[in-house]
Amino acid sequence: MKMFRQPLLILTLLLSLFSCKEKEKEAVTKPDAVKDSNGTVTAPSVNVSHSTVVNPYATVDVSPMDMSYYPVEYPKLKMANVNIAPPVVRVVYSRPHLQGRHLFNDVLKYGEPWRLGANESTEIQFYRDVTIQDKKVKTGRYILYCIPEADKWTIVLNSNNDSWGLKQEPTKDIDRFDIPVKHDHGGPSLEYFTIVFEKTATGADMIMAWGDILARLPITFH
Amino acid sequence: MKKIFSLLFVINLVCLAAVSQSALPGLDKSPLDISYYPNNYPVLKIQDKATEPLVARVVYSRPKKEGRTIFGGLVEYGKVWRLGANEATEIEFYKQVYIGGKKIAKGRYTLYAIVNENSWTFILNKETDTWGSFKYNPAKDIIRTDVPVQNTTEAVESLAMTFEKANGNILLVVAWENIKVALPITL
Repeated sequence: MKMFRQPLLILTLLLSLFSCKEKEKEAVTKPDAVKDSNGTVTAPSVNVSHSTVVNPYATVDVSPMDMSYYPVEYPKLKMANVNIAPPVVRVVYSRPHLQGRHLFNDVLKYGEPWRLGANESTEIQFYRDVTIQDKKVKTGRYILYCIPEADKWTIVLNSNNDSWGLKQEPTKDIDRFDIPVKHDHGGPSLEYFTIVFEKTATGADMIMAWGDILARLPITFH
Repeated sequence: MKKIFSLLFVINLVCLAAVSQSALPGLDKSPLDISYYPNNYPVLKIQDKATEPLVARVVYSRPKKEGRTIFGGLVEYGKVWRLGANEATEIEFYKQVYIGGKKIAKGRYTLYAIVNENSWTFILNKETDTWGSFKYNPAKDIIRTDVPVQNTTEAVESLAMTFEKANGNILLVVAWENIKVALPITL
């Protein structure tokens, strides 16, 4: 009898989780069917406990948006010093999560363009001219996408701003940059896709990391 | 069925593991979001279904109510509020518009609000890329305009913003707890 009791407990626990998941799925798909997270909202995520209620005005996304500045945490630096020089770069992106899936080939596929995020196209704004791989990139706003391969990622700078990330328009490409990719960054596996800038001797690296994979796009400042 | 349960179990472990990550930035408690006018413009754009030009977008963080009293509590009456969480709320106009009778040039601005029981004062300010309202500088205001408070029919857990069309113009609708306000933007 003792043997049966424990599985029953686990079963009840899992069933309750499962019903939570169903509610959440409904909440994210009903009011706005176009909000997607890499096409799948099927797996449950137990850490999104507050998105179970439908928001009649604007649904809370499964893959939340975030922004990263260089200098890192620029708005906070500005709060401490209002006379600070303008920032150099800012990325606005959505953060899909693995939810038990493998990054390759469950979520991403080699050779297929990826919006470097979820939902809206990932946006990058340069507040001044910079150089990437000896090419000058002018001040302004662009979108980014990525073509991942096993041995390299191609990061594409494109001018089709304010678009949804599922359809790329290569005719609006500005530049493409090939960068190496690390298959094991050595840290704990990252559940959420992450973009962050890190200072270098000549500017900053834009770090893109998810799961165990990490790639860096070096940006040189003038 | 068994497969689903074992998958759920694995996911639980993954989520627990995710909590312990610290080297790279974790997830914000109040996630960022974006709303466009026309609504869902990015989707319409890639489907070639946009019938109106891009007018505005708002980028804001979405704090949750979490059982707290928001207006008159967490958000104190009469004080300047960042209209969100974390970074100050940003509004961008892709073309010239009018707010409170004043011409607003195309560009990026910060939007604050002073909340009162019956009305809100929206503040459009030109200091961008800033955190909260801690260093709010009224010298950088572009316009202040008052709007009445309306009640919502249902409770709103996460702060929400969306644009609505009204008589050929647009409204920026802000809703949280059990109230909503609408900022008129004239084209």
